[in-house]
Amino acid sequence: MSRARWLAPVVAFVALAFLVAVLPSFISAFRAQQLAYVAIYLIALIGLNVLTGYTGQISLGHGAFMAIGGYTTAILIADHGVKDIWTIPIAGILTGVVGFLFGIPALRLSGLYLALATFAIAVSMPAVIKRFEGFTGGGSGINLFGLPDLTASLTPVTVLGRELTFNDWLYYLCWTIALVGYVVAWLLLRGRTGRAFRAVRDSETAAQSSGVSLPKYKTLAFGVSAAYAGVAGSLFAIATTFVNPDTFPIALSILLLVGVVVGGLGSLVGLIAGAVFIQFLPIWSQEVSKSPGAPAIVSGVVLIALMFVLPMGFAGLLARVRTLTKR
Amino acid sequence: MADFMQQVVVGLSSGSIYASLALALVLIHRATGVINFAQGEMATLSTYIAWTLTTNHGWSYWPAFAFTLIASFVGGVAIHQGVIRPNEKGSVLRVVIVTIGLLLAINGLVTLIWSGEVRAVPSPFPTRTIEIGGVAISIQDIGTIGVVLATVVVLWLMFQYTKVGLAMRAAAVNPAEARLVGVRVTWMLSLGWGLAAVLGAISGMLAAPSVFLDPNLMAALLIYAFAAAVLGGIDSPIGAVVGGLVLGVGLNLLGTYVDFVGADLRLPGALLVILVVLLVKPSGIFGKTEVKRV
Amino acid sequence: MKPKLTFALTALVLTLAIGVTAAFAGTTRSSADPGVTSTSILLGTTSPLSGVASAYASVARGADAYFKYVNARGGVNGRKISDTIVDDQYNPQQTVLATRKLVEQDGVFAMFNTLGTEQNLAIRDYLNANKVPQLFAASGATAFGSESAKYPYTIGLQPSYQAEGWVLGKYLARTQGSAKVAVLFQNDDYGKDLLNGLKKGMQRSKARVVAAEPFEATAPDVQSQMAKLRSSGASTLAIFATPKHAIQAYVFANRLNWKPKLTLTNAVASASNIMLLASEGGKNKVVEGSVSIVFLKDPTDPKWKNDAAMKLYRSIMKRYAASANVDDVYHVYGMAAAWTAVEALRKAGKNLTRSGLVKVTSSMNFSGNPFLLPGIGLKTGPGDHFPIEQMVLQRWHKGSWKSFGGIWGYRTA
Repeated sequence: MSRARWLAPVVAFVALAFLVAVLPSFISAFRAQQLAYVAIYLIALIGLNVLTGYTGQISLGHGAFMAIGGYTTAILIADHGVKDIWTIPIAGILTGVVGFLFGIPALRLSGLYLALATFAIAVSMPAVIKRFEGFTGGGSGINLFGLPDLTASLTPVTVLGRELTFNDWLYYLCWTIALVGYVVAWLLLRGRTGRAFRAVRDSETAAQSSGVSLPKYKTLAFGVSAAYAGVAGSLFAIATTFVNPDTFPIALSILLLVGVVVGGLGSLVGLIAGAVFIQFLPIWSQEVSKSPGAPAIVSGVVLIALMFVLPMGFAGLLARVRTLTKR
Repeated sequence: MADFMQQVVVGLSSGSIYASLALALVLIHRATGVINFAQGEMATLSTYIAWTLTTNHGWSYWPAFAFTLIASFVGGVAIHQGVIRPNEKGSVLRVVIVTIGLLLAINGLVTLIWSGEVRAVPSPFPTRTIEIGGVAISIQDIGTIGVVLATVVVLWLMFQYTKVGLAMRAAAVNPAEARLVGVRVTWMLSLGWGLAAVLGAISGMLAAPSVFLDPNLMAALLIYAFAAAVLGGIDSPIGAVVGGLVLGVGLNLLGTYVDFVGADLRLPGALLVILVVLLVKPSGIFGKTEVKRV
Repeated sequence: MKPKLTFALTALVLTLAIGVTAAFAGTTRSSADPGVTSTSILLGTTSPLSGVASAYASVARGADAYFKYVNARGGVNGRKISDTIVDDQYNPQQTVLATRKLVEQDGVFAMFNTLGTEQNLAIRDYLNANKVPQLFAASGATAFGSESAKYPYTIGLQPSYQAEGWVLGKYLARTQGSAKVAVLFQNDDYGKDLLNGLKKGMQRSKARVVAAEPFEATAPDVQSQMAKLRSSGASTLAIFATPKHAIQAYVFANRLNWKPKLTLTNAVASASNIMLLASEGGKNKVVEGSVSIVFLKDPTDPKWKNDAAMKLYRSIMKRYAASANVDDVYHVYGMAAAWTAVEALRKAGKNLTRSGLVKVTSSMNFSGNPFLLPGIGLKTGPGDHFPIEQMVLQRWHKGSWKSFGGIWGYRTA
């Protein structure tokens, strides 16, 4: 690859990383916490994008993968005294394995049926969590706030010589993982695997006849995207300090799909805008009007309008800007 | 034995409601290839229109019913022409997001106008109950199943034997070629949306007398309707009905006789069964397997 | 081409970032006891303004209307009360975020009247660790009173669900000594608490629960459960549900040709407008004779037509919540809670602190809450963290509730 082609993304990335590092000094601790959630959604969106944007398999169930990651973390912290940071990779790997295993029977389903199957899983997840009450705490959920293994919830933590309160700690934790995950995804999608994914998306039969193993790449896509969702879920549990079946409702899965489409399928850059969008849309809608039902109307109308104005999502907007500056 | 039969009867009752909404989902998918996530909310809105006519404006049942159906048809066509059509050229996900936006907006609209209070909707059928061998069967349920079956027959006749039905099928399966032979594809798609909206309205009007009306009337039913449609085959109206009834009865029997399932795992249990069915026959019981052209 | 592209992209990213930052600039607030100035008190409330539980939004609305009324009369100790209500859509994760916003960004003095059992559980640890009062949590879960040693800043208000079930169970034990009871209950802490209370109340009698059918809050209908309960041969039916499913229970019992000798139902599910819907225009006879408990004045009860407190209630609603449904008893609950809050704040004095408020609520003895039934008091003390433990039985007869008997108090014996 020519030097100049990867120079632009790298510079942009460094600028982003710099911005992320420096932002907390300019904003309130509360805003930092909100931006931490943006990072969490970004991680989940990166994963979903690998599956839906790059490999063309629609999932309406990524909230369920987040739930698996979130509960893994919560149970490990609350019942087994594992430090929260170490639960993150465990949650990611566990969820990734589950996703991979789900990908195997999912090979038989395509398009609409896969979407409905994942939808079914997301709808069922809260009920399943409630059923295994002894393990998951049932409807009352698991509380993490104030537990010794939850970093910084009660007393600030010192990192690299700086003292961080809970909100700032969450911010840096989530964004560091998000940026690392971003790079990993970028490397994965640039190479052979990414090309294979895209081949599967564009035409399964063509891909097969060029020697791309459908089962291998489809299940791999599921595994990778589930792992990302598991990590996001784990951070979600840590940030919310509470999990219960209703913290991972079907609305979350739908929200993630919205985020990926609004961000821009098949592109990593737009996903940041997608994550910001899904985090702040409910908040902005409430600012417009608090009458019962009005925020939902605002959110719905904004979504529809967005599909008209930015049919390719924010990534499409960036692509248009790019072509403009090329002249 | 009477208990078992009672659960079956009750299952048919619930199942016919799932089937009625599933019919709307099937129709829209068959006519336009789209999964409409807002189908339930549109049905809820239709039911509220009927409610407000009968309760706040003193209309009697059948005129209100007719007006609601017409309004729903117009609404369905309008939504397709205004909001869906411009997005049809893009990826299927664009339309999905638009229907999600519609879901949110319509649910919010209903809450804003009518608040979250529970309302009663009159039923076209008498609410008497007859008893056969210790099993209570309500006339309401017989009526509901009757309407659902009649709807299926009408749909089938329309698709098989009328020019409009043929045109709709052509527009859905191969729009380009359909245009070549003079089918006005866009209007066929709009017609599909309009008819699906009508079916949704009927579904709401059948369900509301029993389960009562609030903004979330259809939200709970939607997943069951999807499950029924997928089980029966997403393009088959007969499949939607069979799927709905099987689902309704199956859920009840599972919940009643399988202790492990209990209350919480009723729906997940049913969904699992459907997933298994899909793995064995990916296009559902009555579905046709897709042949892909390279 | 390449340097220009690089430049353009970097510029774009930075511009977006700066724009985003500017939009988000916020300030932190720090103070000894936030939310209190010489002229105002800031409270925070989370409420399901939209979503599946939006019927309960009336609780927050009623309270807000009452605060406005009090403010128009000068407020409390010279301070006007402002209650910021945030929609959490009944999702505990949203409750956590909204609560943190109210505490950290808005700097509320206390969280008040937050609705929902799981929702209150989700924020309890956070609030107590930060010593922010969780005042009069709108949930009857026993945990909010029984775990006060661990969570001193948290207090509920309404009779606990267990107490409710207990009173109903005791009534049943006294009047139908050997009854067989079938119970329909929501499959969560709410329903289970009620069921446990019922069983405890029935303990010293021959009455037994012969069938208990749970249902999920998301279930579209409860037909199957009702069929199963009917087949148990029970003579008494207990319905522990939320409004929609309670109505369905009555309707399906009727459809199944089942008329239990006695039907018991809990307070939330038995507001008059709900019972009227269940009676299906008078055709459903199952509702006749239902017994429930009540501790608030029901706006549709003809008994209170000329009652001074209910006249006040109506005038407050007309002035400050004109578009709301005045017959909705949840508004009355909200006002009862707000009245109690005003009394507590008044007693906590001019020098208002969070710990001071908690001291007041831990040893309350208020009588004369106009929205509660006469004789029902608000009392807490060492070992008793449940403000309202008294209730009155009522029977549904010919289209309205009629209270009977005296005041029942909950004893843990």
